[in-house]
Parts: sequence; structure tokens; C-alpha cells
Amino acid sequence: MLAPGYTALEFDPPAAGSYALPPMGSAADGPVLDVHGQQHALKDFLGEKITVLSFIYTTCNDVNGCPLATFVFKSVQNAVLKDADITNQVRLISFSFDPDHDTPEALGQYSAHFKQEGFDWQFLTTASRKALDPTLEAYGQAVVRDYDAEGSYLGTMSHVLRVFLIDRQSRIRNIYSTSFLHADTVANDIRTLLAEAS
Amino acid sequence: MIQRLTNTAALLLCVIASSAVADETCMSPYMAKIVGQEDFVYIWTLGIEGVGDGQDKLVTVDVNPASETYSEVVHSTSVGGRNEAHHSGLTDDRRYLWASGLDTSKIFIFDVHSDPSKPRLHKTIGDFVTKTGGIVGPHTNYAMPGRMLLTGLSNNRDHGGRTGMAEYTNAGEYITTHWMPTDDNLQGAVKSGQFADGYGYDARALPRRNVLVTSSFTGWNNYMMNLGQMMADAEAMKRFGNTVVIWDLHARTPKKILDVPGAPLELRCAWGSQSNYCFTSTALTSKIWLIYEDDAGEWHAKAVADIGDASKIPLPVDISISADDGHLWVNTWNDGNVRLFDISDPHAPTQVFEQQIGAQINMVSQSWDGDRVYFTSSLLANWDKKEAAAGNDLQYFKLYGWDGEKLTPQFNLDFIELGLGAPHQMRFGAYALYGKSPAKENGAAATAR
Repeated sequence: MLAPGYTALEFDPPAAGSYALPPMGSAADGPVLDVHGQQHALKDFLGEKITVLSFIYTTCNDVNGCPLATFVFKSVQNAVLKDADITNQVRLISFSFDPDHDTPEALGQYSAHFKQEGFDWQFLTTASRKALDPTLEAYGQAVVRDYDAEGSYLGTMSHVLRVFLIDRQSRIRNIYSTSFLHADTVANDIRTLLAEAS
Repeated sequence: MIQRLTNTAALLLCVIASSAVADETCMSPYMAKIVGQEDFVYIWTLGIEGVGDGQDKLVTVDVNPASETYSEVVHSTSVGGRNEAHHSGLTDDRRYLWASGLDTSKIFIFDVHSDPSKPRLHKTIGDFVTKTGGIVGPHTNYAMPGRMLLTGLSNNRDHGGRTGMAEYTNAGEYITTHWMPTDDNLQGAVKSGQFADGYGYDARALPRRNVLVTSSFTGWNNYMMNLGQMMADAEAMKRFGNTVVIWDLHARTPKKILDVPGAPLELRCAWGSQSNYCFTSTALTSKIWLIYEDDAGEWHAKAVADIGDASKIPLPVDISISADDGHLWVNTWNDGNVRLFDISDPHAPTQVFEQQIGAQINMVSQSWDGDRVYFTSSLLANWDKKEAAAGNDLQYFKLYGWDGEKLTPQFNLDFIELGLGAPHQMRFGAYALYGKSPAKENGAAATAR
């Protein structure tokens, strides 16, 4: 069964700006690589804009996992691009937790399928699991890597999908998971934070 | 959706709101589920003076028939005192179990993922009352995406029933408080009947409908009072909740207050893709109530069945809905009975089974497939019975097999004889949730993590 994020919402969401999204603590930092292989700190991508951050890996075959996050991000991208007032105030980040496979080059190729020209959608990875794991832990993103009986890594991972809404003070303001993630909800929350700022 | 089979459990790690779930049937729709054989049941247990160390504790029982220690207590973690241990709940990723105390308002967070057979106390929240602005008696520990929702039963101003809910991050950091709507401050909610009492108890989410449902019990003054004394106190008996509140789940704002007189307790929502309803039972009036959305999108409450003979005060407590929304287990504390209702027509439940489990009974938890039904006995320290008739169990944890017609005993642990205390809330654990296995934990097989 497909997650709700693939279909129309079954309810009218509360109007943007009519509700509060209390801060849930600071968004953590960590070393990252962009699609060009350039080293950055994750914090370099936070704070300037309202940011939506998702942990994914490109070979994930769970339709209600990473592909859902990317599908929703693409829908959010479309919604934000249609609203010229907010287009330059929003950033999406797809952050891979599979540095073995998701090299900067691989992520660059992956991003070309989804990212529209002129939209701020960053695709980030890390140099190694050692560099990655503290960041995952800081975000509470548990990942179980799958191994066969001989202890060989199967290249697949199990995880509870997490997507983070981060404000201009680099504070986490909402967390979405499979049952809850929907482009309309995310876009509404983005507008709620923007209304708050104005 | 990831669905994997291991030697012990089949798991749903990515969950969606419209999935069938089982107590596993009663867990948050945001949570990873155990849909096969559970390995452990974690039992949040009240300490009893003179029984073992007398402290509240998290007791771990091995419930996997394939294990050498099946039916045994394999671990116990005491928390250093008595807090009126009551309810517990897992985070959405099931890495931590939150267990709260109704008297001290402390919340104990156990790490259940590092070694599922040996939960360890990870963190204690001791400032819940001040952080939340005065909520007393954290009750339901309910998983939301990346956070926990904690319902309260009372407040620090008069220790009555007016209360609220609080949100914490999974890491145990306070986020915010939501007070229940009252006549003084409806917070924009529609008062549909006589009551807007501001009381609280349980909470359940229906993400598909953007709805959060809350129920209402009583305050610290009552739940910490001796039961006989309270029932003889006419004024005290007036101070029970009479409401269920429908909230905007996303905005966390109350939308409608429904009259459900008689202390509506546990809430259990159906999970069919077109099933927009929940059940609750009323402790004082002994009825099953249906909380439902009509075709126009309006929410209503109505009594749909009697639970035993209300004049005999059976005192309904925990309820558990089956994965297919077809049946509802209903425990009645005072007579120690479990009843099963056919709820295939939610507007007209019919009782199809009844059996006494012990001298008293409180919680019921069933496996995803409904084949295994677990029971515990304790309600509240000052309400629990102190003795049982010969041959009847007082403080127990029991497993029965259910074949659709009868309950077949599997094992029975006497928590007094074992020096543990009074067992209350049960939560399931499994190695496979964390990519682990018993062999790996014992170092007997190759590991690669």
C-alpha cells in the first residue's frame, strides 16, 4: 500500500500561519561532500533559508521510504517554484546515508532526475561511514545495515524515514515520517515559518 | 514498505497510516511494528513494599517459544523508588521505552535497542511538572514522528483532573504543552454537550484524517486515594472525566468536545482505510463508546454496548482491537474477567466470549496475528486488591493462545512470588527490529555490524 504522500490529502490542512511549530532543538552539524566532491560543513547549508532535510540513499527500493521522500521533495519543489514570493527562501537537502555507493558523482547523476534548474535542492553525501554516523546519531536517524549469514553487507538498509523542517535559526521545527510526509503539509509548514519570520 | 523475515520476527519498519496494526494493534501508527513472533515483553511494574526491593522496575520476560529461556524473567531494571508506575510507550523507531510514574511525575527512558534482552535506564526526566507548566501524572507515552506525546492526568495547582499534554523530543527534551479545553477556555473548540471538563487520560492519532482523540479520567487526588475511601466519598466521585476531545492533529488545537460520561479510558482506533472511528470504554458506567466521523466529516460519540452489569461495578479497564478491526478485547478489573466483543458492526458490538483470568485484571496486549494474548493484573497501588481467593491469581503476567474460540494457557508468572511487584503496562520487543539476533548477542555467530 502506498503512503499518503503519493496521493491527495484526505483532509483540508490547517491554514498556513494559523498554528505553531515549536522548536525541537538545534539541527546538528557534520562534514559533508557536495555533488562536486567539495568538502563542507552541513551547517553551511542551514540557516540562510527555510530548509527541508531528508536522509536517503539512492538505491533504496522501499517505495514508502527514500523514494517517497524524493517524490515529496519534487512536489514541494514544484509548489515553491509556482510561488515566486518564496522560491528563493526555501532549500531542500537530500543527504545520503550510503557513502559507499552514493559518491558525489553518483549523487550528481541521481539529482539530475529530480532537480529543476534554478531551484535550491542540494544533494549531499559523506566521505565514509565514520564521517557519517555521528551526524545520523545526532539527528536520531537509526539505520540498520543488512548483512547475509556470512556477514557480508547486502547493500540495503532498513530505517524509519525521517524528514526535518529547519528554520533560519537552524532549529528543527517539525519531523515527518512515512505516515505523515506529504508535499501539501510540508509546503504549509514552510509558509507557516515564513509568515512567522515576516 | 520494508517487510523482512528473520528467525524470530517479521517486521514492518516503514509504517503507513492505513496499515492494519495489532497491540501491536494498539501502538502508534507512526511506529515500526512487530508482525511476527515477539521475543520479549517489557512489563512496567509497580514496586510493593516488602516485595523484593520494593522499587518500580521494568521487567523483561522472554516470550519466544524457540528460546531456551522462554517464559522466564530474563532481566529486571529497578529505578530507585516507587513512583506509581503505570503506562509506558516506545518511540517511533522503538529504540527507547518511556515509562512514567503517576505520583512523582518522573519519566524513565530505557534503551531497549542496544541489547533487547537487557533494557537499561538511559535517562530520567525529573522536572516534568515544572517544564510543562504544571502538568502532573504523565500517563500515555505516545509515539509521534521523532517525538513523544505525553498525556497528563492532573495539575500541580489543585491536583484535580484539569490537565494537558506535553511533547518531548525522542531524546527527552521538552518541546511544548497543550492544555485541555475547558469551559473557562475552550481554545476555539466546539462544546457539543454538557461538559468541557479539561480532564485527560489517553490519546490516539488518526493521521489519515488529521485527527487526535483524547479521553479523560481523574486527578491525582482521586487516583492516589484508597479505592474504598474514594467510592464512599460522593464529592470525589463527581470528579471524573466526562469528555472525549477531537483535536486537529497537525495544529494540535482542540476542535470538538464530546460528552462521554463515566470516565472514558483507553482509546483504540480502527485501521481500515475507510474506518474513521475509535472505541473507548467508560470505567464508571461500564459501556463501550464509539467515537466516529459521519459522512459530513462531523465527529460524534455514542454508547454502543454494555460491558457486564454496571450495577455490579465491573470497572472496565484496558481494551485491545484486533488487526482486522473485527474484535475488541475488554478487561473488567473488579471481576477479573476478559470479554471479547464482535465489532464488525462498530455501531452494534456484541459479546461473544467471557472468561475470568484472575482475581483482578488490567492490561491486555495481543500479538499482530491475534494468536497470543497477554494479561497483567495491576491497576493502581491504592486500588489493587490485597488478597485473592484460594486458587485465584492476584498479581500476574499471563500468556494465552487464542484460536478464535477459546483461550489456552501458555504460562503464568506470579509477580509476588517472584519478588517483582504489581505488573502493569506491557510492550513488545524483538531482536530483528535492530538487525540483531540472540546468537549475535551471545557472540555465537558471525557479526558484521
